[in-house]
Amino acid sequence: MAKTLIRNNIRKLRFHCSEMTQQQLSEKVGVTRQTIVAIEGEKYSPSLEVAFRIARAFGVPLEEVFRYESADPEARE
Amino acid sequence: MNLSYREKSIWGSLATTLVVYGYYFATIFSGERPSQINRMALARLMSAVFVIVVIEVVYHVVIALTSREEPKDERDILIEGKAYRNAYFLLVADLFMLMGTVVLIGLTPFLTVNLMLFSVVVSEIVSSLTQLFYYRRGI
Repeated sequence: MAKTLIRNNIRKLRFHCSEMTQQQLSEKVGVTRQTIVAIEGEKYSPSLEVAFRIARAFGVPLEEVFRYESADPEARE
Repeated sequence: MNLSYREKSIWGSLATTLVVYGYYFATIFSGERPSQINRMALARLMSAVFVIVVIEVVYHVVIALTSREEPKDERDILIEGKAYRNAYFLLVADLFMLMGTVVLIGLTPFLTVNLMLFSVVVSEIVSSLTQLFYYRRGI
């Protein structure tokens, strides 16, 4: 499985939005449910536009949904 | 394994291509090979194309009734782009090899046409496999 370096809190945010389903989120964002599954499972990094639409669907800023994890271990500290 | 509409569609097309063209090429290359594209050879080719179209239409009607069809999004388009890239490189390489073979050895029109068709079919298979790979592994 190819993992991206972009981590996300989508699962947690869906839970806090009264257990929003992946289908409901996909309809709000305008992508397929499979794409939401892939983003949530960190198997696909969405475009900036889709990332903003996901953040807007939860009503939070982008950095509350996504964070970038550097491949360089020193840069993480 | 939970398959999306698009994955089911690709699997169906891949299976149809493998079975129908597999049978077509097995009969073409094992039997007597005319030098020209005669009426019989053309009829065989047309039959293969017709069978593929019929199976694909029926199969897609069935999966449209049983699965939820979703419009393509950016991930589908990205995966499709990678699949076309792989298929394109393979097709170009195949065509150059075929052109070299025609120039150096010389092939009958019948063999040339069927080898060109074979290259197109192999490219199509590579395109489907690439898409299935990225849908499963992630991109």
